[in-house]
Amino acid sequence: MQTDHLSTTFSALADPTRRAILARLASGQASVTELAQPFEMSMPAVSKHLKVLERAGLITQGREAQWRPCRLEAGPLKDIADWVEQYRRFWEQSLDRLDGYLKALKRKEKNDGRKQRKK
Amino acid sequence: MAGSNARSSEETTNTREIVITRVFDAPRELVFKAWLDPGHLAQWWGPKGFTNPICEVDARPGGSWRVVMRAPDGSEYPCKGIYREIVAPERLVFSNMAEDGEGNPVLDGFTTVTFEDEGGKTKLTLRTRATALVPEAVSRLGGMDVGWSLSLDRLAARVALIAGREC
Repeated sequence: MQTDHLSTTFSALADPTRRAILARLASGQASVTELAQPFEMSMPAVSKHLKVLERAGLITQGREAQWRPCRLEAGPLKDIADWVEQYRRFWEQSLDRLDGYLKALKRKEKNDGRKQRKK
Repeated sequence: MAGSNARSSEETTNTREIVITRVFDAPRELVFKAWLDPGHLAQWWGPKGFTNPICEVDARPGGSWRVVMRAPDGSEYPCKGIYREIVAPERLVFSNMAEDGEGNPVLDGFTTVTFEDEGGKTKLTLRTRATALVPEAVSRLGGMDVGWSLSLDRLAARVALIAGREC
């Protein structure tokens, strides 16, 4: 999965209303009107949230003209929930950086040594 | 990875062990020091592209450490822990906890690092056991077959662990 894809998912999840919408959709598909109801929000405001969720691939909206049901897409959530992979990556990348840092220290030491000898 | 073939209990779902081995072309004393000297540690801790504006180390058994990682986008991810064993230059054991922006723990880890001399190089073995902390929200979403390990509320904090790929 692409990182910008992941970032989009994370920012989509950063909002409590959008999380509540996802929680609602976890129990089955719903129309925009049904989704708007518990939040006491205007339809355009809810539509805006839905657009963010749709862009993140977290939901899809049916194309039927009238009721256009929204449904949850589990894919991006599955990717994000794989915390073990992320945790491993954290350590792998830290150790990569440690390796690079130790190499840089060695180079510096070598250069300093050379300067010392020239004196 | 331990537990990958047995997901039946809560323990195996939310606690995993990872083992990573690396050989560094540097003497063991230096590699060991790189973990406990905050000046060194701040230079490499965290995913690619991150900096560590805060890096505090109280290098003694029972002493604590704290690092605040800053992602390339400016967001900050604190982590901290306590040193359980410090045997220079061969063994380091510490707890590591990642927090979300409000100081809530999102991941609880316990890490053992061993350093072996291999003819002037250093073989490092990192063994870390981590538990993703699962709040109530997960059970509310329990009907979703997506292998939940974290609540949606805390997922954002996990960016720290993946954002390195941006660079």
